[in-house]
Amino acid sequence: MSNSPSPLFGYPRPDGRWGFRNHILILPLHQALSTAARDIAEATSGAVAISHDWSGEIDKDFERITKTFAGFAGNPNIFTTVALTIGTEVESGIIERAKKFSPTPLVEIKLSDAGSMFKLVTNALEKVTELAEQAAAQSRTPAPWSAVVLGLECGGSDAYSGITANPALGVASDRLVEYGATSILAETMEILGAEHLLAARALDPKVGEQIIEVVARYERSINYEGIDIRGAQPSRGNIEGGLSTLEEKSLGAAKKAGNAPFTGVLEYADRPTAPGLYFMDTPGHDIEQLTGFAAADVNITVFTTGRGTPTGSAVIPTIKVATNSEMGLVLTDLIDINAGTISDGTQTLEEVGQIIFDEIVKVANGQLTKAEIGKHHEFNLSRLYGSTL
Amino acid sequence: MRPVSSPSGQRKILFLNPKDNIAVCLADINVGEKISQDGREVSAVEAIPRGHKIATADIAKGDGIIKYGERMGHATKSIATGSHVHTHNVLGDRLSTENT
Repeated sequence: MSNSPSPLFGYPRPDGRWGFRNHILILPLHQALSTAARDIAEATSGAVAISHDWSGEIDKDFERITKTFAGFAGNPNIFTTVALTIGTEVESGIIERAKKFSPTPLVEIKLSDAGSMFKLVTNALEKVTELAEQAAAQSRTPAPWSAVVLGLECGGSDAYSGITANPALGVASDRLVEYGATSILAETMEILGAEHLLAARALDPKVGEQIIEVVARYERSINYEGIDIRGAQPSRGNIEGGLSTLEEKSLGAAKKAGNAPFTGVLEYADRPTAPGLYFMDTPGHDIEQLTGFAAADVNITVFTTGRGTPTGSAVIPTIKVATNSEMGLVLTDLIDINAGTISDGTQTLEEVGQIIFDEIVKVANGQLTKAEIGKHHEFNLSRLYGSTL
Repeated sequence: MRPVSSPSGQRKILFLNPKDNIAVCLADINVGEKISQDGREVSAVEAIPRGHKIATADIAKGDGIIKYGERMGHATKSIATGSHVHTHNVLGDRLSTENT
């Protein structure tokens, strides 16, 4: 832990967590309410909504989906979640679970009580307006470094990811972890081939074994399913960019986590319980990973990209770092920081690491990211067993 | 946008780790082109696209390809210094089958 004073300002939550945004989340717990959720959010400043394709199926993915919704509803960047429901027992179960995580009282608005979709929307609008006033009246207060729960993500990787944006993000992540913050690396497929290096950095040998086991479990599932992932990893785009093997991609992807020791391993959407660097077992799918981060208390994310992936979250500010100047200087409506300067030879890794660190502080303190300005509010449920019933 | 720099770049090659037997080309390299950086030099024996790898040592068939100081796969044929190192002469050690 460093003595460096924190320049952070956030929203303290009653349970000790901190938010860096103060959103009202409109959360439909049935796919049929997704449009209503979006309409309500569009009508109210300060409200955000997600949409999804789930309609209450109780299948093998039910536990994973329930955990994701409950965790997402309780993300510390949310002032209050307003859940829209049909009025089923399945939805009540999710709401009960979400209440345990939620920093503020969760509001449920039932279609069965409202009597019509029109009344559901007007009832919700009335409530959301009232909540938006309360949220706007809250002011930021000085926050400690431990308030930061940083998500490390990459998408659309190229041959520059591992030499520019990822190691520069590693510099910023290392500094935050040293100061007492939490940082989470994810994407199991993208550490395959680098897991022994990460395991060697575990604070506790058991954590090292867990890192190895999570990757081995993934490898077994691929072999069991008979899936040939070589066509997808590295992807055609990765290969065109110069990446030759999955290990090469993984060695570059793992650089996002710098050199800090690993405190623990998290299952998908599970929350870290103490500060430090973690690995979370997630799919490689960018949005499923970001959704899992949101369910696990992540309140700010840095996303490195070689192609300018527009992915963002309704509840987590997401900072985009370009791996190359060719893209980074062109897609200026998507990219917050260009790390291509490292391979151009005009800036060092340390310099860009410092820029990313400073940007994390500014964004935590309220500066909007390009993904927020563009309202990139993607949400995806992660399923292990394929389609619904 | 910060920072901003010219996309044309000055660097043509990146030597990542002293243990490596490859380097990363930061520009399209022509046949016979000599590239030097930070006191090291390598001559390309074939054209190599930007972002791709060049062998900085002779690599025997079956030897590891070392990048960032770590093994990222192995050579499926012998690779001479200055050659393009990619999927035509490299395979990963994991989840890859030699027979396909």
